[in-house]
Amino acid sequence: MSDSAAASVPLTINGTAVEALAGMTLVEAAWRGGVPRVRGVGCLEGVCGSCRVLLRRGRDVTVALACQTFVEPGIEVVFLPAPSAPRHHYEIEEFADGWDVQARFHEIFPEAARCRHCHGCVRSCPKDIDVEAAIVLAAAGRFRDAGAMFFECVMCELCDGACPEQIAPAHVGLFCRRVTAHFHLRPPNLIHRLEELRQGRYDVSGMPQGE
Amino acid sequence: MNKTGISFAAARAAYRPDADLGPLPALTDPDTLLAACHPDHLRGSVVKLAIGANAGDGCQRELAELLQAEAFIDEADLAGTPVTDTDVLVIGGGGAGCAAALAAAERGARVLLATKLRLGDSNTVMAEGGIQAAIEPDDTPQQHISDTLRGGHHAADPALVAALVADGPDAIRWLIRQGMQFETTATGDLHTRKAGGMSAARIVHCRDYTGLEMMRVLREAVIQHRGIEVWEQSPAVELLSNERGQKCVGAVLGSLADGRLRIVRTRSVILATGGLGRLHLNGFPTSNHLGATGDGLVLAYRIGAKLRELDSFQYHPTGLVHPTHLSGKLVTEGVRAAGALLVNGEGRRFIDELLPRDVVSAAILRECQEGRGILSVRTDKTRLGVWLDTPRLERSQPGLLERQFPKLLARTRGAGIDPRVDPLLVHPTLHYQNGGVLIDVNGATTVPGLYAVGELAGGIHGRNRIMGNALLDIIGFGRRAGVAAVAERDRGPKKVTLEHVNRMRRALTLAGMPLTHKSPRLLPAYAGGAWNR
Ligand SMILES: Cc1cc2nc3c(=O)[nH]c(=O)nc-3n(C[C@H](O)[C@H](O)[C@H](O)COP(=O)(O)OP(=O)(O)OC[C@H]3O[C@@H](n4cnc5c(N)ncnc54)[C@H](O)[C@@H]3O)c2cc1C
Ligand code: SF4
Ligand code: SF4
Repeated sequence: MSDSAAASVPLTINGTAVEALAGMTLVEAAWRGGVPRVRGVGCLEGVCGSCRVLLRRGRDVTVALACQTFVEPGIEVVFLPAPSAPRHHYEIEEFADGWDVQARFHEIFPEAARCRHCHGCVRSCPKDIDVEAAIVLAAAGRFRDAGAMFFECVMCELCDGACPEQIAPAHVGLFCRRVTAHFHLRPPNLIHRLEELRQGRYDVSGMPQGE
Repeated sequence: MNKTGISFAAARAAYRPDADLGPLPALTDPDTLLAACHPDHLRGSVVKLAIGANAGDGCQRELAELLQAEAFIDEADLAGTPVTDTDVLVIGGGGAGCAAALAAAERGARVLLATKLRLGDSNTVMAEGGIQAAIEPDDTPQQHISDTLRGGHHAADPALVAALVADGPDAIRWLIRQGMQFETTATGDLHTRKAGGMSAARIVHCRDYTGLEMMRVLREAVIQHRGIEVWEQSPAVELLSNERGQKCVGAVLGSLADGRLRIVRTRSVILATGGLGRLHLNGFPTSNHLGATGDGLVLAYRIGAKLRELDSFQYHPTGLVHPTHLSGKLVTEGVRAAGALLVNGEGRRFIDELLPRDVVSAAILRECQEGRGILSVRTDKTRLGVWLDTPRLERSQPGLLERQFPKLLARTRGAGIDPRVDPLLVHPTLHYQNGGVLIDVNGATTVPGLYAVGELAGGIHGRNRIMGNALLDIIGFGRRAGVAAVAERDRGPKKVTLEHVNRMRRALTLAGMPLTHKSPRLLPAYAGGAWNR
C-alpha cells in the first residue's frame, strides 16, 4: 500500500535500540537495526516455530513469534534461545497396538494427569490453541480429539516452557496426533493400490514393497 | 523492468467478484511465451561454468559465482579440531534428511544429523498443497510417470522418475506409520486433488498444512529415535575427502552458536540441504526459508560431483505481493486447482490457470511487462502483480477456503486481509531448484561415499516440477539413500583431508579466477542491509 512516509518506530531488540518503520515485523526490525546474534529465524511465515521472542510492554510480559509480530513504539524484544531437548521418550513402533496406547501414554507422560489449570500454556500459544483443554482430553485417553486441537501447532514449544508441571504439552499434542494416524488411519484406496502393487499388477521397478 | 500498470487503488475499486472476465485468449505457442518471459531466459541470466565437473555447461549466474569460489577453510584450520566418528552423517534437517536418517537408523546404523538452523526449519515445513501418489482407481503408476516426464519437458531421467513413482504408495504408508495424518473422505479413503499437469486426482494432503504435518511428525520421530543424534545450529562448511580427494569421508561443521569447527568422520555422507531460493536469482522474491542458500550444491561441486540442469529454476506463479511482510510467500496451487482464477489489472483472464507452472508464471510476467499488471507502491519498492480471484471462488463454493485452506487465512488475517473478500495480489516467486546433484536411484552421486537427496538432487523433475512430486521425492529418495548408505561396505577412512579443496583452488588459479570469493553462503546477508520484501 502507499506509505511513502512510513512512521519511524523506536524499540529495543536484545538490548539494542532500533529505529524500525511502521508495518515491519520484529524480524525485519532486527535486520534493519543490524542486531547481532539473531539466529532463531527460519520460515518467515509463522510455521517453523523458531523465532521465539519475549515481549515486554511496561510491566506486561508475553511471548510470541517474531516473524508474525509487528513493531510497536517502546516495546522491548528478546529473542529466546532454542528449547532444550525433550525429556519424554518413546518409539511408536514399540507400542503393541491401539489397546496399549492409553497405558503407555501415562507411563511416558506421567505429568499429564497433573495439570493444575494455570492457563500458562494457553496464554503462551501464538496459534491460539486451547492447549489446556487438549491436555485434559489427552489425559482421558481421547487422543484423536486432543490431537485435532493441535492441528495448527508449529512446535514452537512455548507452551512447554510455560508449564509449571513440565507436562510438555507440545509433545503430548504430537503424541496424540501420531498414535491416531499410526493405529487408526487405514485408507481403503491406498491399501488397495499397495495390494495391487504387491501382486505385481503394475510393472514398476523400485523399492521392494513392504517393510 | 517496465514499471507501469493499473494502480492498486483503482484496480481494487473496480474489482467485483461477479464481474464478467471475458473470454480466455488462446495460447498458441507456449514455447515462445517461455522464451520471451520466463526468468530462466532473461538475457545474462545464464553463464558457462569454466571449471569443475560441469565445465562448459550453462549455469545460473548467481549460482556460478558460488560454485566457482574458494572454500572457507584450509588444512591449517583443522589442526586441533575435535573429531567425532559415526556410521552415517546426514547434513540437513528437512524432510529428506529426516527420512534418510530414520531409514538408516531403522537398519541399525549410528546416525548423526547435523543441520544449519533448528531441526525442521526447512522448505518442507512450509509445503502446503500435498504429495503425489497414484492410488485412485482411475489412475496408474504409468500415468504418474508420463505426467511427470511431460511436466518436466522430457528432460528428467526416466529411471529416477520410475523410482519416484514406484515409491509413491509405500511412502504414504510409511508416513502414516510415523504418525502423519491425511485428509480423508466420508468413506475413509485418502482425499485426492488434481492439480496442474495431472491426468488424474493424485495429490494427497493434510488440508494446506501438508508440510507442517509431515515435518513435525518426522522431527519428533528423529528426536525420539535412540539411534539418531541431532546437532542443530551446525552448518556444514566443507566436506572431507580421502588422500586422493576421490571419496567423501566426512565433513567439517561450523557452529552458529559458538563459531567453533568440528570434524565428523564417517563411511557415508548424505547431503540433504534443500534449495537456494534465498539467493534471490534474477532479483526475484522467494517462497523459501532463510536457510535455502544452495550450500549443498557448492559442497558437492567442490568435491567433484557432477550436477545437472543448473540453468532451470521454478518460479511459482502465485507468490504474495501483499501483505508486505509475506512478500514472495506462497499461495498453494491447490487454490487454483480448487477453481480460483487469475485476473489482470484490466479485469480480464489471460491464461489457463492450470497449465504448467513455468507457462503460467511467464504469462503473469507478460501481463506485468505489457502494462496490464496491478501496481503497488511502497516505501522501499514498486511491485507489480495480478489478482488471484479468491472471493469469486468463495462465491461459487462457500466455506471452501476456510475448510481446505486454513493456512492461507491464518497468515493473511494478521495483516487484516481476508481472501474471502479481498482478491490477493500475486506475482511469480522463486520457488524450486529443478536440477541439482546428479544421482542414481539410490541417491548416490558421482563421488563415492557421497549421497544427495531432496531438493538438492537433480534429474527427477526435468526442467519443471509438477505439484506434489517434491514431497514424494524427499521421502522416497531420502529412504533409499539411508538404506544404501548403511550397506556401504568400506571400513571407513584412514585419513581425512581437504585434497579436493586444493584441487579446486588449482583449477581456479589456472582459469585465472579470483580466490577472493568464498562459499557456501550459509545465510543471506540481510542483517543491516536490504532484504527482498
Ligand atoms: C512454500 C513452499 C510450498 C511448497 N509446497 C509443496 C507442495 O505442496 N508439494 C510438494 O511436493 N512440494 C512443495 N514444495 C517443495 C518442497 O517442500 C521442497 O522441495 C522439499 O520439502 C525440500 O525438502 P528437503 O528436505 O530437500 O529440503 P528442506 O526441507 O529445505 O531442508 C533442508 C535442510 O537443510 C538445512 N541446511 C541447508 N544448508 C545447510 C548446511 N550448509 N549445513 C547443514 N544444514 C543445512 C536447512 O536449514 C534445512 O533444514 C514447497 C516448497 C515451498 C518453499
Ligand atoms: S501448542 Fe505449544 S508448541 Fe504448539 S504452537 Fe501452541 S505454544 Fe507452540
Ligand atoms: S501450563 Fe501446564 S499445568 Fe498449566 S494449564 Fe497448561 S498444561 Fe496445565
